[in-house]
Amino acid sequence: MRYLPSRRAFLAVGAASVLALSACGGSDDSSSSSSSGSSAAPAASKLIVIITPSPDNVFFKAEQEAADAQAKKLGYETLVLSHDDDPTKQSQQFDTAISRKAAAIILDNAGADASVTAIQRAKDAQIPTFLIDREINKTGVAVAQIVSNNAQGAGLGGQEFAKLMGGKGEYAELTGKPTDTNAGVRSKGYHGVLDQYPDLKMVAQQSANWDQAEALQKTQTILQAHPNIKGIIAGNDTMALGAYAAVQASNKKDIIVTGFDGSPDVVSSILKKGIKATVLQPASKIAEMAVDQADAYIKNGKADQPEKQSIDCVLVNPDNAGTVKNFAVAGS
Amino acid sequence: MTDTHVAAHRQAAAPPPDAPRHTALARAALLLLRGRTLVVLVLLVIIFSSISSEYLTQSNLILMTKHVAINAILAIGVTFVILTGGIDLSVGSIAGLASMVSGGLLFKGLNVPGGTIFFSVAVVILIGIVVGALVGAVNGLLITRFRVAPFIATLGMLYVARGAAQLHSDGGTYPDLAGTEARGNTGFGFIGVDSILGIPVAVWIMVMVAAAAVLVTTKTPFGKRIFAVGGNERAAVLSGIRVNRIKISVYVISGACAALAGLLLTSELGAAYPDTATTYELNAIAAAVLGGTALSGGRGTIIGTVMGAFVIGFLSDGLVLVGVSTFWQSVVKGAVIVFAVITEQAQQRLQSTLTRRTA
Repeated sequence: MRYLPSRRAFLAVGAASVLALSACGGSDDSSSSSSSGSSAAPAASKLIVIITPSPDNVFFKAEQEAADAQAKKLGYETLVLSHDDDPTKQSQQFDTAISRKAAAIILDNAGADASVTAIQRAKDAQIPTFLIDREINKTGVAVAQIVSNNAQGAGLGGQEFAKLMGGKGEYAELTGKPTDTNAGVRSKGYHGVLDQYPDLKMVAQQSANWDQAEALQKTQTILQAHPNIKGIIAGNDTMALGAYAAVQASNKKDIIVTGFDGSPDVVSSILKKGIKATVLQPASKIAEMAVDQADAYIKNGKADQPEKQSIDCVLVNPDNAGTVKNFAVAGS
Repeated sequence: MTDTHVAAHRQAAAPPPDAPRHTALARAALLLLRGRTLVVLVLLVIIFSSISSEYLTQSNLILMTKHVAINAILAIGVTFVILTGGIDLSVGSIAGLASMVSGGLLFKGLNVPGGTIFFSVAVVILIGIVVGALVGAVNGLLITRFRVAPFIATLGMLYVARGAAQLHSDGGTYPDLAGTEARGNTGFGFIGVDSILGIPVAVWIMVMVAAAAVLVTTKTPFGKRIFAVGGNERAAVLSGIRVNRIKISVYVISGACAALAGLLLTSELGAAYPDTATTYELNAIAAAVLGGTALSGGRGTIIGTVMGAFVIGFLSDGLVLVGVSTFWQSVVKGAVIVFAVITEQAQQRLQSTLTRRTA
């Protein structure tokens, strides 16, 4: 500020950095809550580092917890970190993993291209990386890339939506963040099915950036513009919840809403005859598989599975919603 | 004095016959520029209603105004801060924090030794607003007592408050805020979902907040001091105004407004999640700037800010209504904001030219 003499400015910067540090401290608390404490890793490392996006989203939280629990069950120490979709932060966390001589890294990565060098650095340091949920654009760097099959899942979601619509009528689509590959894959998967019905007409398509409040407001406006809409198909569950709130507030409460993810909030809405269906990504199962494969790799020195593995999604509707728990359908 | 006077006369007298008409034209242009937010709003309505017959229906106007309400309330709070020459980047995060605190109280109650307490909806709303005001007070203290630049202090708070919102539920969502009769905490939907006389309660709340803010800024000594602090802080200090007290007050007002906006959003959604109102601070600041509030402080009006919020809201909803892609929505919104600032500069120039001529 122009009126501050330099000494004050200096003070301001000092105070600001304290603030910034405290801000970092706050988020670290939440992201490393299940860290194994500060004891140094033993020479023959039994440490598995788990790095995921922010556990804000129940989906990432579920995969984080599943990986953590499975690793502990197999007798490993864990360090759980969150990169908040920032490749730079992720790279620093890889440095931490390397300096602590981790036995393996389980990663839900922060960018298909931006993550490659960090994973390569770990590989050079003899630390294998097992990718979950999101792929990278290079093979031969990570030991495994285990992802749920979004295209197959979107096909399931599209079929169920078409069935609920009775194969005809106007509908709107809410798509995810345009920069996220999965937003495009899901939308394409939906349309692979829906576009085959000549009487199903998409009258509006808007991105709500995976956000609940944005989905609410955009759905309200879409319903204004197109009063005859019979259904809304959303690219994920938070947007489905927002759209459902808009439908509830309107005078057309029988509008069909479907989502994608299998989050607990949507599953309970399905049980209450609110949202009609969602597609469950087996987040917990994928995380556990990655830890099992890491364990086998540590013991045998080589991978027991091909690098690219695609796990099918499961449709959740009132028939099986009661059996869903923590991103897993009973018996799947 | 006389020199400039004469010079001004000469300048005005240089092309004798045209001079009065020029001035009249300039005056008309100035009038148009002063009312530019209204002009833009009218233009928007004309353009969108010619594309879609649904735009100018009663129900859509009510819906758009309801969407405007949340940003307008945030922006009114931010305007108080900007008038003092400060800035508040933390309002979106404060809205999120207030949303989580109130949502938590409704969903799981307050754990105390010996059981769980559930408060009535009115108390929950009050607590949410008080939380916002307290966070605003911390902003104010950082800026006045610890001399942190407003940009940095509130940027820090943007992260701290968002982190606190996430910690509150460990990142989760409070999915059901309907309450139960047994707990005596039903009715949270009133402020976000219900209507009175066909107008949403949220809109009534916006009108009340705006009316109160207009009164405070134009009719009270406190309001005059806000402008004094923003216009010339040193002069304000020398004339005996307790500048620090004024500054803390405006951040408290901004925090309280942010919390209120967060609660309206949460009530409408029927769920509280930690990312509520992320990046809303930018929309609020944009509304204030669009409405003619100078970021350097000391100049601006509440009505202008509300109009600015209407322009942004009617533009965003219109683009969604006619089905424009998200990418173009961003481009258009950004362009309108920059254009508004350019016209504001033009207004300033024209105004000073005219003042010189008539002096």
